[in-house]
Amino acid sequence: MDDIFTLIKSAVLIISAILVVLTAIGLLRYKDDMDLILYARIHMLGVADMSCILALLFLNEPLLAITYLFLTPFASHSIANAYYYGEEKR
Amino acid sequence: MDILLISEYILLAALAFYCIATIRISTRKTISMGIVGLLGLSAAVATILILIKYINGIAFCSDIALALVILGPIGTITFSKVIRGW
Repeated sequence: MDDIFTLIKSAVLIISAILVVLTAIGLLRYKDDMDLILYARIHMLGVADMSCILALLFLNEPLLAITYLFLTPFASHSIANAYYYGEEKR
Repeated sequence: MDILLISEYILLAALAFYCIATIRISTRKTISMGIVGLLGLSAAVATILILIKYINGIAFCSDIALALVILGPIGTITFSKVIRGW
């Protein structure tokens, strides 16, 4: 019989897997000719990022999880900022 | 097989599917879409490396994952600054 922590860990990993699959389907689902699709894809990417962080936390890697938790919002914001002031204005 | 190993394999398969999706996204026509895809790919590969560490017992995968987690978003930020124009 597994202890309760192993069961919780397994449940969290499976929930992360479901969220990652849903994100992958969402990324592939919409066509490129939609208006402002890049912002929607950045938004979808946040779900997979958070599920990866959750999985890393429950896999006993808190350094990786916290580093990624702090760096990801800056990266997402800089992509959206670059698209708004760079490519979209052209 | 215990339930933890099964759930780790399920997460590995989901991340493999997600990697294919992000590579597909990064081949779209705009440069920003490529950066979005590669940001997602770096997170997925880091998590895959940690899972490989726990499944196969390869300890140095953690170091590679740490480098990937730090350098992936920093490279994304730098390249976005270049696209925007300084």
